[in-house]
Amino acid sequence: MALLDHFATPANLPEPNQAGVDEWSKVVEDLVGVFAGQFEQFYDPTEDDTPADAGVEVVAWRAFPARLDGLPAEERWERADSSRAEQDEYCEWSVERDGDEVTRVTFTSEVPQYFEHLHDRDTVEGTERLLDFYREFVDPETDPGQLLVASGRYDEQNPFNQSTSGRLAHLTRDNNLFAAIALAASATVLRQRNGVPVTTQQALVRCARLGNHLRHSDPQIAGAVNRHAAQGREITLRDPIGVYIAGIELAEMVAPDGADVADFWEVERGEGDRILRASFRVPEERGYTVSNVELAGTPIRFGAQLAERVEVKIEAVAKAAGHQTERLPCRPQ
Amino acid sequence: MEAAAVVDETCAAFGRLGTLEPQAIHRFIVGQDRAPRTLSRDEAAAELGDPFATLLLLQAVFPRSAEAVLGAIDDATAGDDPLRQQMSFLVGEGSQLPDPEIASRGLRFLVTRGRSSDGAELIISVFDPEQTDGVELMAWDPVRGGFNYYRTVGDDGAWVFAGNSIQAVLEPTEFKGPFESHTSGAILMKELKTPWVNWDSPAATVSADIFPAGDPRATHSFFLNRERQGAITCEAAVARPSFARWARARLEAVTSDDGTVERPQRIVDQLLATRTANLISSHAESSIVASVPVDLPVTFFVDADGLALVGLPIPSEFKLDGSIYAEAIETLAVHLDDEAGFEQPGDTHFAFVVPERAAEDQAVLAQALQVGLVSDRLAAALLMVDFPNPIFSPRREALLAHVPAQAQITDGASTFSDELANAIVAAAEASPEGSPEREFAGLWEVGEGWKEAFGQTLTAYYAAIEGKLTDQAAFDDWVRLAETRRARFRQFRISEFGLLLPRSNVPAAERRMNPDATVSEEA
Repeated sequence: MALLDHFATPANLPEPNQAGVDEWSKVVEDLVGVFAGQFEQFYDPTEDDTPADAGVEVVAWRAFPARLDGLPAEERWERADSSRAEQDEYCEWSVERDGDEVTRVTFTSEVPQYFEHLHDRDTVEGTERLLDFYREFVDPETDPGQLLVASGRYDEQNPFNQSTSGRLAHLTRDNNLFAAIALAASATVLRQRNGVPVTTQQALVRCARLGNHLRHSDPQIAGAVNRHAAQGREITLRDPIGVYIAGIELAEMVAPDGADVADFWEVERGEGDRILRASFRVPEERGYTVSNVELAGTPIRFGAQLAERVEVKIEAVAKAAGHQTERLPCRPQ
Repeated sequence: MEAAAVVDETCAAFGRLGTLEPQAIHRFIVGQDRAPRTLSRDEAAAELGDPFATLLLLQAVFPRSAEAVLGAIDDATAGDDPLRQQMSFLVGEGSQLPDPEIASRGLRFLVTRGRSSDGAELIISVFDPEQTDGVELMAWDPVRGGFNYYRTVGDDGAWVFAGNSIQAVLEPTEFKGPFESHTSGAILMKELKTPWVNWDSPAATVSADIFPAGDPRATHSFFLNRERQGAITCEAAVARPSFARWARARLEAVTSDDGTVERPQRIVDQLLATRTANLISSHAESSIVASVPVDLPVTFFVDADGLALVGLPIPSEFKLDGSIYAEAIETLAVHLDDEAGFEQPGDTHFAFVVPERAAEDQAVLAQALQVGLVSDRLAAALLMVDFPNPIFSPRREALLAHVPAQAQITDGASTFSDELANAIVAAAEASPEGSPEREFAGLWEVGEGWKEAFGQTLTAYYAAIEGKLTDQAAFDDWVRLAETRRARFRQFRISEFGLLLPRSNVPAAERRMNPDATVSEEA
């Protein structure tokens, strides 16, 4: 792979000109660069070589929040559907309904930084790519003024991107690119407690204060990165850096007319298994809705039921480096 | 040709079969066959309709290992055949313990072929992809319904057909041979629910470092290409669909065209007795419990899954202060011991592993409700007998004595529930005070208001539990009760490895939970 020329847009989304390509690359470079300077075993692939034999590790987890896993089915689904703030696994979703019937569930793993980038480029070039996105994917009636705060900056929590109903735009709050990169970088630090290496996932998250030990994502990312770091390797995130939806598990999902439910899953943005936005909807001509589809014998009445089957991932790269780093004690709790 | 008779009726009998001809199909259904015998091609064709038999054995293809089976399936199928779709998973007690020299962690692979909303068509369990003896294979038989059970015997890897799922629930084969473990003919995934203690999963990824240096399994495709969601996928795409598929097929198989249900007692048995169990744990790693809340599995306290099927209230969660948990671990000397020289103070990787009512039993209850054999009211009343003890309840099990010998389903309805209830109520009068029959009779007499009345009882119980979550002595007693249930679980054949459950200094005793969330100890 050698030296990376620039950081690509998430899932290689098209950028109309070189200035846009460079601008997005700089956004990522600024984030990666900060952490590469701070952590010995985390590197910037535009600055340091990635050899061809570097390993790629796909770290995957479920979109449904782990914090709610232990609750009874109805209660956990209702709670996860109730607020975007509950959806803290780098994947958020919203539900469209017709009365009580679910008609479509939309999932996104698109980071807010990309939409700030769209707005910045629109400002420079006089284009309307941000508005076009909202009108195509969120609400055709979107008014451009509704997307901005008074100062003219992009408002990531604009009225179209707060709710769990309708069509959401992108990730919010802590579900962002900075958090993902920060977690991966910080997890390269080896830890010990009372001289005993800390290696299990939750213990590592607690010890190094790497996020919430009761998430699927944080312990999983931290554990995977830390295992490579313990082998002396250097780690970065694979270009195009992003959080991706990898797919949906369709087992136990049965349509009333026996249709192949795989046809109900539509990738709206992304490439291959680097999905940025996807939705689950029954084609109109079939004459029934998502709520007529059964999952594990239960009609789908919540987006969260599907979120339990949606896979989210990041891709890390680890190269041999021969570090023999001393383990640091746990950070004060 | 029939070999010498085998007296052993456990699944260990397969280890006593001696040398068998590897280029032949053998049958040894424990309880039915006195000894293994070679099936002629016609006999085998008449008995075996699964793809392992039709594509390989009946074509005189006898692969000797799991790896060879998969290769032979590939050779026998076209590129787009669903049987080419493979998933592999890894499980091992103590798989999170860092020392690679611990020999007793029982690392094994589960490999499946075929993938649909009904689960997998072929399931193989092996410790080593290349082992020839003791390869266990289950294959769904679309002709007969149910899984056909196979295993290899001897270093030459001779294949033995060990029975079909239906033989797990029929005399004279039930609870014998493979059905000692697969007690109702379903597949096994002991740690079925999140966080799937012992399984490779996002909750606890199993690293290649746990294999001893040079172990070829660390670089085998079963490991390298395993499902990255691990146990999540195994639960959703293999285990649960298989439970439901077999429960449907089984109810059909035991119901004749005129609606007569053969041996309804065997179905009710899965509601009242505990022939097997799953294992559930908190979501907290035991290494950090002292500083985080511990979510105690609600199914330790009540049969939440069963109660939910009949619309009764179930608890949300029971969260315990981690310091209380940590103190109990210390006081009761909870530790790991593989009985092979490895010992370590503390709990299993995820804290508080306890048995819960088996998912295969829940699937059968769901199907019995679905086809109208059992009413919601009957199921609820039965579950409410000794409800604080969702498993290993001799009180509930005693009610099996009253199950009618026959049942009839007509147009999706049955009088079976009333007949069973009436039989218990009739027996109650002559039974002593406090008998399970009298308890049931009291519950049944509530009548149409059962949902509200039972709900109030359960809600009071949940409040009692909540009230004790800050009480060290109460929690210590719950750990003692957990130890009693773990001891019972260890008696099951599926409890194969020393590191499966923790040990402690709690003396052996019968203990039961009371409706006020206290624990009684019986001599």
